[in-house]
Order: sequence, then C-alpha cells, then structure tokens
Amino acid sequence: MTNHLTTEELELWAEGLLPATRTMHLTECTLCRAEADRERTLFLSLSQLTRFAPTAGFADRVMKQVRIPTRSGEFQS
Amino acid sequence: MRRYERPVFSLIYRIVRDRALAEDLAQETFIKVLNGIGSYRPEFKFSSWIFKIANNVAIDQLRRRSLDTLSLDGSPMAETADRMGATALQIGTPGESPLDEVQARELGAAIEQAIARLRPEYRSCIMLRHVEGFSYEEIAETLELPLGTVKTYIHRARNELREYLAHVRQ
Repeated sequence: MTNHLTTEELELWAEGLLPATRTMHLTECTLCRAEADRERTLFLSLSQLTRFAPTAGFADRVMKQVRIPTRSGEFQS
Repeated sequence: MRRYERPVFSLIYRIVRDRALAEDLAQETFIKVLNGIGSYRPEFKFSSWIFKIANNVAIDQLRRRSLDTLSLDGSPMAETADRMGATALQIGTPGESPLDEVQARELGAAIEQAIARLRPEYRSCIMLRHVEGFSYEEIAETLELPLGTVKTYIHRARNELREYLAHVRQ
C-alpha cells in the first residue's frame, strides 16, 4: 500500500486537485478514506454557510447617501 | 448592488459579529464603492474590489475597537442580555426534515463558533475561498496579501477548524 495522504493532500483531494496517482490510495486505505470524507464534509459545510441579509430598506438607505455625478461634473445626492 | 448585498454583509457580519455594526459597515462599504466607482480598475474583478473595500472597512473597525476575540453568543460590546441576543448570529437551514434540520443546525452552529474563533484575517480568507468560491490568486488580490501568505492562512485556518470541530466530527 502507498503512503497515507497528508493533510495537504486531503485538502487537495477535497478541492478536486489531487493527482490521480495519489487519489488511488483512497481505494485501498479505509483510514484515509474516512479522513477524506470528513474533509469533504467540512468543505461542504463551509460552502453552505448562511448568507445573511441586511434589514429591509438597506439599499435605499445606501442610495440616499451616494453622490451621483451630473453632466456638469458636479454631484447630486 | 443587490447582487453583492448579502455576500458583503455576511463577510462583514462574520468579521465583526454584531448585526447593527455590520449593517453600518456594509452601508459604509457600498457608499465607498458607489462614490469611488471612478477609481475602479477594470483589469481586476469587480467582486474583488468590493470585497477588498468591505474587508478593509471591517478590519479597520476591529482594530479601532479591538474586537478580535468574539463570541457566537453575541457582540462583546453588548451590555445587556437582550443586546447579546440581538447581536447573536442567526443560523437557519430551511427546507430540511426535522432531524436533518436539527443536525444541520448543530453542525452549522459549531462551524459558526469555530469560524468565530479564527483570527479575523483567517476568517476573511476562509469566507472568500469557501463561501464566495474565490481562487487563491483572487483572495491574494482582494486582501492585498502575497499568494503564499493566503495559502498559509487558509491551511492554518482549516487546521484550526478541524481541531475546533473534532468533537462534532466523531
């Protein structure tokens, strides 16, 4: 059996960047396979983190404070 | 602006951990973006430019208020229990079965707590990489850090997250 995957290699695997020659190790090593599954769960959980929303009217409050340039080069609120 | 409202607010909220403050800072970010649109250089990704401003605004705030040790339970600036509750991160996972939802909420809460324990610069890197899907190069450009530093930060952040989450990953 080839050497166990390092932490760096597990990260690369989770990102789909591990070379096939090293990925093959996962088919023969249950220990690394379990680590890889945990790594994938971590990556998946991070990618599914909630995207929080500001309160209603946020965009309107921003736009009230934005200076819009006019044709004469001056700014208007 | 609508497209970036949630991503920008979420990044800032996870950095400062205070909803009201995050909203003020997100507002400041968009005002800077819209008033400074003339200084945008199109050779860079527009999203990188916006997140750069958002990150700088949030990190500057942390430096001013020394908020870099924060709690999921609410802002460290909260002075009352009500204020703690009002500033705590809200974690929801709609559309799942009750059991899945409970498990997802537990995992989601654990991950939020783990992220809150990271250094702010690690937090930004992890958010941009995993939530926004930025490449390492784009993160380096956004945060104005060397590429090697970004890789190191993300690697260390993941190591810390694994450690913090070990109890829920058994």
